[in-house]
Amino acid sequence: MARFSLHAVGVDRPGIVAAVTGALASIGANLEDSRMTILGGQFSIMLVLDAPSVADASLLEEALAPASTELDLLIAVRPLVESAHLDAGGEMAVVSVHGADHPGIVSRMAGEVAAAGGNVVDLATRVVGEPEMPGYVMVLTVALAPGSTLESLSERLAQAAAELQVHCAVAPGDGELL
Amino acid sequence: MSVRRVLGLAELDRGRPALPVGELSSDARLLAQDLIDTMRASPACVGLAAPQIGVPLRAFVLDVSGHRKARTVHGELVLFDPELLEAQETEVAREGCMSVPDLTGDVARATRIVLRGRDVAGAEKVIRTDAFEARAVLHELDHLDGLVFLDRLAGPGALHARRVYR
Repeated sequence: MARFSLHAVGVDRPGIVAAVTGALASIGANLEDSRMTILGGQFSIMLVLDAPSVADASLLEEALAPASTELDLLIAVRPLVESAHLDAGGEMAVVSVHGADHPGIVSRMAGEVAAAGGNVVDLATRVVGEPEMPGYVMVLTVALAPGSTLESLSERLAQAAAELQVHCAVAPGDGELL
Repeated sequence: MSVRRVLGLAELDRGRPALPVGELSSDARLLAQDLIDTMRASPACVGLAAPQIGVPLRAFVLDVSGHRKARTVHGELVLFDPELLEAQETEVAREGCMSVPDLTGDVARATRIVLRGRDVAGAEKVIRTDAFEARAVLHELDHLDGLVFLDRLAGPGALHARRVYR
């Protein structure tokens, strides 16, 4: 199995997903996990694909070249390197941070997570409200280090949040199964 | 009495409602026991519906005892032919599913419900519950109608990777 990661970035316009995935389908690539969004008018997608007949990432980039040129996309394809971080065994936490916008919120909070041995596995931030008084919202999912507790992360982040003058809440990430 | 294999997303009979159990037979009681045994076999599992073990009948079990988000708790609950009578107020919260163990999702569910069904003795029960037990009931009722939580997500942002404990 030859698996690759693909990143594509460009100014958003209709047809990007169709063009990129059409090129991939034409060479028999099978799409697996993907995430696409638009931030500030910029289209961005990351996807994982399985391309059994493709020996080299450059062949995928060649297949994508017409779409890349036509839609002015920056496309990067790499062989997939498996990561075991999400299965490391610790608890999952959802951290929600919000308050008045100012520089340094993400770096400080992410720094605290890293110092606690946690791994940020999902992150979304938004500037909200009126331009003269912008608010900031950050939600991240953290895979805690094995043996590390939600309470200890919560205490550490509460301290940082107080210094940053923002609100922070930490909740369990993985619920029970039904 | 046995622990059954829980069907994955690709195996569930989606979009087709399960059939009424009707008069309780010894088979129905065995089904209930299998559901309980299967639920108890997975430490994170707090509820299971018959279609999840490949039985297309309207029955589920759940037990949210000790869950941090539970308020009203009925303990081990086994219900045949359950029917939702009332549903009030909604709250969005994250939930997971034995049939989709790699993912969780943020789903809007009623926080106060009334339902009716029959227990293993065949006696009719009217159950009023709330909070997490209500969420669990509504999740299981969805299974009986061929739905999973993925059918109720508000968008891609409501879907999250879940750590799978193998």
